[in-house]
Amino acid sequence: MSNEFLPAAAQPVAPAPLVPRRHFLSSSSGSLASIALSWLLARESSATTPGRVPAGAGSGLHFPAKAKRVVQIFCSGGVSHLETFDHKPELERLDGKSLEGMGENLGFFGQPGMLMKSVYPFAKHGESGSWVSSLLPHLASCADDLCFIHSMVAKSNNHTPATFQMNSGFTLNGFPCMGAWLSYGLGTVNEDLPAFVVLPDPRGQPAGGSINWTSGFLPANHQGVAFRTDGVDPIADLRTPAGLSPADRVADLRLLETMNSDFARLHPGDTDFAARLRSYELAARMQVSIPEATSFDDEPAAVRELYGIDDPTNKGFSRNCLMARRLLERGVRFVQLFNGGSFGSPRINWDGHENMQENHDTQAATMDRPVAALIKDLKDRGMLDDTLVVWSTEFGRSPVTQGIGATGRDHHPKAFTCFLAGAGVKGGHHHGATDDVGYGVVEDEVTIPDFHATILHLLGIDHEKLTYYHNGVNRRLTDVHGRLIRGILS
Amino acid sequence: MSLRPFTLILIAIGAAIAPALGTAAEAPQLPAVDFDRQIAPLLVSRCLECHSGLDPDGGLSLIDAAAAAKGGESGPALEPGKTESLLWQRVEGDEMPPEHPLPPAEKALLRAWLEAGSPWGQTPLDPLAFSTEKRAGRDWWSLQPLRETPLPDTALDPWARGPIDAWVLERLGASGLAPSRPADPKILIRRLFIDLIGLPPSPEQVDAFMADPSDVAWAGLVDELLASPHYGERWGRHWLDIVRYTESEGFEYDHPRDRAWHYRDYVIRSFNNDKPYDRFMQEQLAGDVLEPVTSDGIIATSMLVCGAWDRAGNAQANATQRANTREEEMEDMISVVGQTFLGLTLNCARCHRHKFDPVPQEDYFRIKAVFDGVKHGERPITSPVEIAVREREAAARTEAIAAERTTIADLEREGARRAAQRSHNRVAFPPGPAPLIRWTFRDGAQPAGGKLHGGAEIVAGRLRLHKETQSSFESDPIPESIREKTLEAWVVLSDLDQGGGAAISIETSADRDFDALVFGERQPRKWIAGSGGFVRTHDLEAPPETSPAGQPIHMAAVYRADNSITLYRNGERYAPPYVPAAGLRTFEKGGATVLLGLRHHGAGNGFLDGEILQAALHATALDDAQVAATFRAGGFAFSKGEILACLDDAQRASHAGATARIDGLKKEAEASAATAELSYVGVRVEPPPTALLHRGSVTSPGAIMTPAGLSSITAVNADLGLTPEAPEAERRKRFAAWIADPANPLPARVIANRIWQYHFGRGLVATPSDFGLNGGRPSHPELLDSLAGELVRGGWRLKPLHRAILLSSTYRQASTHDETAAAIDADTILLWRYPPRRLEAEVVRDAMLAVSGELNPAVGGPSFRPFTTTSFNATFYHPVDRDDPQYNRRTVYRMNVNSGKEPLLDAFDCPSPSVKTPTRGETITPLQALALMNNSFVQRQADRLAGRALEAAGGELTVAIDRAYELALGRRATAEERHRAVTAAQARGLASVCWALLNSSEFLYVQ
Repeated sequence: MSNEFLPAAAQPVAPAPLVPRRHFLSSSSGSLASIALSWLLARESSATTPGRVPAGAGSGLHFPAKAKRVVQIFCSGGVSHLETFDHKPELERLDGKSLEGMGENLGFFGQPGMLMKSVYPFAKHGESGSWVSSLLPHLASCADDLCFIHSMVAKSNNHTPATFQMNSGFTLNGFPCMGAWLSYGLGTVNEDLPAFVVLPDPRGQPAGGSINWTSGFLPANHQGVAFRTDGVDPIADLRTPAGLSPADRVADLRLLETMNSDFARLHPGDTDFAARLRSYELAARMQVSIPEATSFDDEPAAVRELYGIDDPTNKGFSRNCLMARRLLERGVRFVQLFNGGSFGSPRINWDGHENMQENHDTQAATMDRPVAALIKDLKDRGMLDDTLVVWSTEFGRSPVTQGIGATGRDHHPKAFTCFLAGAGVKGGHHHGATDDVGYGVVEDEVTIPDFHATILHLLGIDHEKLTYYHNGVNRRLTDVHGRLIRGILS
Repeated sequence: MSLRPFTLILIAIGAAIAPALGTAAEAPQLPAVDFDRQIAPLLVSRCLECHSGLDPDGGLSLIDAAAAAKGGESGPALEPGKTESLLWQRVEGDEMPPEHPLPPAEKALLRAWLEAGSPWGQTPLDPLAFSTEKRAGRDWWSLQPLRETPLPDTALDPWARGPIDAWVLERLGASGLAPSRPADPKILIRRLFIDLIGLPPSPEQVDAFMADPSDVAWAGLVDELLASPHYGERWGRHWLDIVRYTESEGFEYDHPRDRAWHYRDYVIRSFNNDKPYDRFMQEQLAGDVLEPVTSDGIIATSMLVCGAWDRAGNAQANATQRANTREEEMEDMISVVGQTFLGLTLNCARCHRHKFDPVPQEDYFRIKAVFDGVKHGERPITSPVEIAVREREAAARTEAIAAERTTIADLEREGARRAAQRSHNRVAFPPGPAPLIRWTFRDGAQPAGGKLHGGAEIVAGRLRLHKETQSSFESDPIPESIREKTLEAWVVLSDLDQGGGAAISIETSADRDFDALVFGERQPRKWIAGSGGFVRTHDLEAPPETSPAGQPIHMAAVYRADNSITLYRNGERYAPPYVPAAGLRTFEKGGATVLLGLRHHGAGNGFLDGEILQAALHATALDDAQVAATFRAGGFAFSKGEILACLDDAQRASHAGATARIDGLKKEAEASAATAELSYVGVRVEPPPTALLHRGSVTSPGAIMTPAGLSSITAVNADLGLTPEAPEAERRKRFAAWIADPANPLPARVIANRIWQYHFGRGLVATPSDFGLNGGRPSHPELLDSLAGELVRGGWRLKPLHRAILLSSTYRQASTHDETAAAIDADTILLWRYPPRRLEAEVVRDAMLAVSGELNPAVGGPSFRPFTTTSFNATFYHPVDRDDPQYNRRTVYRMNVNSGKEPLLDAFDCPSPSVKTPTRGETITPLQALALMNNSFVQRQADRLAGRALEAAGGELTVAIDRAYELALGRRATAEERHRAVTAAQARGLASVCWALLNSSEFLYVQ
């Protein structure tokens, strides 16, 4: 009866562990006593197997999940594929020559220049013999774990729309980000922490700030929770107000609980009221669990050293990488790390318009070692088997310089490289290829919807079935696109 | 039978196919085939989805005999006299329709038609004529005229106070349900207040209603609240959700829109004045061109552009990508119009025919043609009459300022003359290197080698530049080509906080590329070597300008052949040299000019406010020593102070007086500009003809489209009598009239449903911005049409509709849960009770302020800004909580920016402003609990509520507790509650109890 007037598509269509989120805290329990009990049980399962999905949690998925959790590193500004992972010997020969006949200049500033060889030498690494430039020695040492996609294409040559596309599948404001879709689709493993945590670069937020981790039209509880990583409280309102003793706060909460329990008892069928009671329990637990998860006090010196926690050249990014590992370990479903802030001068992201070497040297010094450390650390802990690492950027950079005689490169959406690592993907693998100068894709083009569809697949989700009705459309992360990149699956 | 229209359609189609199928299955001989009755529906529902329209799959269209015979890429689909045609082969082999082969019975029918020689009937077939399981056709319920259905017998039931109750009762009865008892008066009055004005009732208002809860008192209360200015604040906020009203631009920069709030006030005003809804719609579509044009009309059209806007995408160099940006912008505009007024997702027809609703792609582009002249931006919102008055005043001010300036100029000339006389004994430095050209200025003469522009004038041997008159000097074209160069100028800044103006610039005439000495453009008070697209520009590690305003400064920029750029200030290096990404630009002989006081042509903020004493262009790159020499040789040591020191007291007083009067006049001008002259209402252009874009791609333009309405609403003529070249204003004016035509059934249905939705938490149609196939079906279709019809007949006024709803028995039911009823109708769709719901984010905040006594009731005007901002090309917002009355205004007056999330509001599902939000989410999360527990705003309101209650109680704790309960919950504490609260308050203070009250479910929900 209750469904008769809803469009068919507005019925829950997400994978089964989901209950309409409005009731998520009270889905299985009628009485207050059982809430407390289920809470204790949940606590047991997460306490005994930290960072692991309780058995059976994947039972409602479309496919068996290879990945249980995701960490995405997003490098703001547009990392040059030609200076990092896409080795183009032919470009050395053509250095200084015209692009004519190979394609039009797609740059943002429209100042054509001449072809420019990579400013860094490349070498083969690992058993796979993967080409990586000298810019990224630490990531090069992980080459056998990385699955490169050299044939990425983006829709826009403009930072923010392209960033939105990588995050949400759409080039516009207001579409739910991948982390929000996963929170909606998979729920949370550890209710003491948010399902989707964002760690902005310590140097500054990306352009658009919180628009980048919005839940869009999905319920607000799926939006990314941005943790501050500068030493103050990670999230707003986490701390009990100064001047209120813990004992007094407990007494206050007890008074409130009595009020709310009385009210819930008067309205037995309305589960919201029971859910509210539970939300305070969880809030109180978050006051403990978030500081615990974000403190490095118990990290051994070797781990701190691995990430370079005390190395100032990474500008605090290593802290975010280590924090990401701690959050993943504790059951956060999706952690998104931004490497690079917004656009301006001096540059604090990968937007090397003026001088590739100067720019990429500076940015790589923040990113290379910490991200490599994160991959190694996950591997050491056996977590790489069921954690998917996604390394991404919004687009590549043009094989020609930005202006004659210049040393920078403009934006280039027609070809760029991203890599995946960990759960369910081949290591030391290279998918797709660009032409001789890295201008366009000549083999196995991968669009961002394809990329997203594949990530969802690894998590056990059919991207065509994870939908949410909004203003006339059953929206998907992949819109009406998306093909699985089968070649990279292990 | 709520599905009546839909079900009938299905039956109709079933009936068309079924008899034939039955015959085919049972009888060995083939049936006689009726094309119109049997084959047409089959082709429409099975084939035409792909094989019709502008760009049919495989190039094959099946809309008529000729098209089928012509065939597609694989050849003719039908050939005369040939039963085993390609069409049949594909169908028989289950290749077509793909993935959904025809059932045998339909195959048999098709076969029979082919064997009969495939005779066609009425063609061309219209793929959108009929609704099928997969798509809505022109016969879709929501597109049909409003229907009047006689009231059911339940109208005679004593419970039914009017048509609303009659229809609700009928549906309840049909499902074996009954309405709930009337709600308790104290519950009811709180419900009404929250619902209509978004604020809780005062204890006195509750008491009064408790004393007399009669029908008459209720009706009086309803009328009182509908007349309250807070009604518009509450219901206007709903509207702002729907139209994605935002006060920052989103995308990369997310800059604030300081002048967008006029629209918010317009919406609130319109609700408060009960503006007829047809007028309200027309104003938002075309108010700027509807005679007589008023400020309100101009402001109303903000609706078209008040969403996010991609500034960077619009400014970039790549033309295709720029065109894509514009297409996205248009989709946003068309979708807000379609969803808001028509409840249709027109935007889904941008790349192809709408997948579910009868909207051909042509319709999308016809409607795009209507709005193609609307662009983002700010514009004056004063009406033509007001503009004339303002222009007269402005002209008088300009004249007065000019007169005062003459006085000042005369005095300074005199002072400079005297200063020069006195300084004859100064050391004369040897002249510096000779430039290619040097510009100097002499009073009373046109400058040699160029022309003055705007309000530029020459005073005391200096070029005087006024930003507001857009003054500059432009040289004659340069006499030889220049590669290496030095730009040099002696400049006086009249204000150190200005930004964007250049002392000297060299600019090409053809592509407007330039190199310039620019002040304060990218970083306050700093100089840069500006350039076209910043390609040769770096921000410099240099101190902010410290010379006081009025002091001459010598600036030089040296561009060397090695591509390095060095800036000098007063003969010394201003910052280390740097090498930009872009190469050195050659400025060709005759193809470039030098500008003084202007960065480059077309730069709105490129004018300098100050003076140029002298400027020079060198065709060489001067070295450090040469720059130092040229600085020393300038000898412009007279500061304004030195000049004034040479005047006598009376002259100085006269100078000061004139300066002060100019300041006053400028302030007046600013004040006049600030009185709502500009707003974010968008600008207008006469657009070129609008082409349909195949698959929505800007690189595949098709036929030119004529501006028109939606073809599938048959009751109103979609042809607006326009041509593709029609004036922009006429397009929107006629489209607005088409929308608001009383015969157009959608707007009335859609708004009636929205009003219902906000009163009950759910619409009669559950998807209020989507009345198409993907949307919900009306739970009470006759009621919806009755409300919509009554609305139109009543002159489109919304307040009577509110009144009818609020006076109904349906609205006045209790919200008590009932196990048995819930088993039948868990979501309360049939309204067997009043569905309880949580307060929206804004109401939570406003209600806290109201009960604490802190609410600042100020209405309208610029938004309050509960954040600080930082700027790094983009604007970043950092929420702050301040204990200050201006921040205690209602939340609807909060500056609603995209990226500055306010934790408390965010936790209560306050949507991203750029998302069109017809229904609010209602989540319960630990983050929400944390915000309620620890947010400083909540703490403070709890403290104030405690103080207020204690004061009212004369310090008597038990009385104060009762008072706090009354204020927060609209009732007194029970004995047990009082006892607990006293214990708590004695131990930890009354604020603890008040905090718990503000955290309580009873406070946060309407029952």
